[in-house]
Amino acid sequence: MTSLSFTGIRKTFGTTVALESLDLALQPGELVSLLGPSGCGKTTALRIAAGFEIPDTGVVSLGESVITGTPAHRRNMGMVFQSYSLFPNLTVAQNVDFGLRNRKVEKAKRNSRVGEMLELVQLGELGKRYPHQLSGGQQQRVALARALAVQPEVLLLDEPLSALDAKVRSTLRDEIRRIQTELKTTTLFVTHDQDEALAISDRIGVMSNGRLEQLGTPEDVYLRPASPFVARFVGSINELPNSNGVGKILVRPEDVTISADENELTMRGTVTRVTFQGPVTIISVRVDVVDQLVNVHAASGSIQTQVGDRVSLAVAPGRGIVEAA
Amino acid sequence: MKQSRSQRALGRLLPTLVLIASAIFFAFPLLAMARFAFQNLQVIDLGWNNLFEKWSISSVTASFSDDFFAEAFTLSLKLAVGTALFTLGLLIPTAVWVHLRLPKARVFVEFLTILPYVIPAIALVAGIVVVKPHARWFLNSDYSLIPFYVVLALPFTYRSIDTGLRAIDLKVLVEASRSLGSTWIATLFRVVIPNLRAAIISSTFLTVAVVLGEYTISDVLLKRTFPSFMAQYRQSDPRGGYALAILALLGTTLLFVAIGVLSKSRSTRPQQVSRSQENEILV
Repeated sequence: MTSLSFTGIRKTFGTTVALESLDLALQPGELVSLLGPSGCGKTTALRIAAGFEIPDTGVVSLGESVITGTPAHRRNMGMVFQSYSLFPNLTVAQNVDFGLRNRKVEKAKRNSRVGEMLELVQLGELGKRYPHQLSGGQQQRVALARALAVQPEVLLLDEPLSALDAKVRSTLRDEIRRIQTELKTTTLFVTHDQDEALAISDRIGVMSNGRLEQLGTPEDVYLRPASPFVARFVGSINELPNSNGVGKILVRPEDVTISADENELTMRGTVTRVTFQGPVTIISVRVDVVDQLVNVHAASGSIQTQVGDRVSLAVAPGRGIVEAA
Repeated sequence: MKQSRSQRALGRLLPTLVLIASAIFFAFPLLAMARFAFQNLQVIDLGWNNLFEKWSISSVTASFSDDFFAEAFTLSLKLAVGTALFTLGLLIPTAVWVHLRLPKARVFVEFLTILPYVIPAIALVAGIVVVKPHARWFLNSDYSLIPFYVVLALPFTYRSIDTGLRAIDLKVLVEASRSLGSTWIATLFRVVIPNLRAAIISSTFLTVAVVLGEYTISDVLLKRTFPSFMAQYRQSDPRGGYALAILALLGTTLLFVAIGVLSKSRSTRPQQVSRSQENEILV
């Protein structure tokens, strides 16, 4: 288990600043997700870790060693890519064996390691198949086995699930977490999918415009967003005018209380839509004074209401963050 | 508006008629050439009534026994191998580099490779004549033809390699290989080249076709290559010369058929498992 750290990393492409003073340290065995919209710099950070990009300034360290200028092939990192990256000319077993051959591991050890890795990703029977004979999910499992076969000090995952169907994505996401926990490999996971990041990570780094907006546990990022950007990007959010008329209050739908009694709570409004989603029902209410739509997540069955009903709302005490104007 | 039955029939028939007309247009001169080369009859006697009479390969076997045939043919084969190796050694790293590091330069490189189309071989020859007195040490060697053939074959060979590179996810494959500990050289030999096999074979066959057909430059440099031999032999034995030309044409055609078969076998490879299938099988 090794730590990976970025210190003061800045990277530009022409006049575009991709990363602006990134400071991030992954503890040994930890899985950290970099979450953010397209172009926020998360993939650039991962590519700098892999050695495919050289930062303009700053230092990348692996444990005690500085690896900023070390070529990609000497970094001992495993990487899984967004698109299927298996070598089409090699079988599944040969793909997994690829990195071991580069490291000149003796054949008997290589064969046993390939078998172990394929068992780990539950594809022990498919060693002789070629990549085009596998489904997308199977290909990404093989890519994971290939990356892990070389016992990398750090595992880099570049949106490995984004090309897959929702069902396959969810299963493979859990698999990645299981394997990562089992092997205790320090892992940097890049994604734009907040559900993925919340489900899989020890910590999440939320990025915007080349900056790390917040680094914290999934609970921290969701419940205690450090900035309006984080509040808006992670989970859904209601934006209400502040009572003093300056700025806005950002509040999550589950932090808004709703009552069928129009006079019970502080804000009054009319129900415009009721969406049943299994355990939760989303109730959309147009609030009178501010003429603004607020979504409320209520436990299904906890309130009986329909479109056109008059209701009252209130923000749960201590919830919501204030955004200055 | 509905088409009448006769219009639809004509629509189906017309392409076939055009194809047949084109085939006749190309086949008749070739047939005439074949009759001249392989039928032991006086030209004045050739007619429809003796279309199947006195066919023989004696003219071509006679050319094989010429003192210079083996020498010329061997030289052309050596030049073909040399040109193919030189071309691949030059083009694969260049095309890979352009695809990975200089994608904006792709248009410029494509323009450069198309120049031999625009500038005729005779212009190249004019250049060689100017340079010749200063580069005799190089031009005296038979193998000095190789760089010229590489240039002449560029429009075909570069496109073949470029198409092969576009068909694979080069950047990701190279980065995957590098992240697994491969040097650039190892990546080129273990990942890029094996995945360009069909493109490399096409490029090689096209190079061979160019080398076996090029006459102008070899003649100016006084090299006895197979096309030069054919041209000279035709003067002493026209039938034998044309028989050799037909054999060369047949060989080139077979090479192109082989390219077609290889391309087809690549495109008919089992397709990626579909999304719907994916949900039905183990993730």
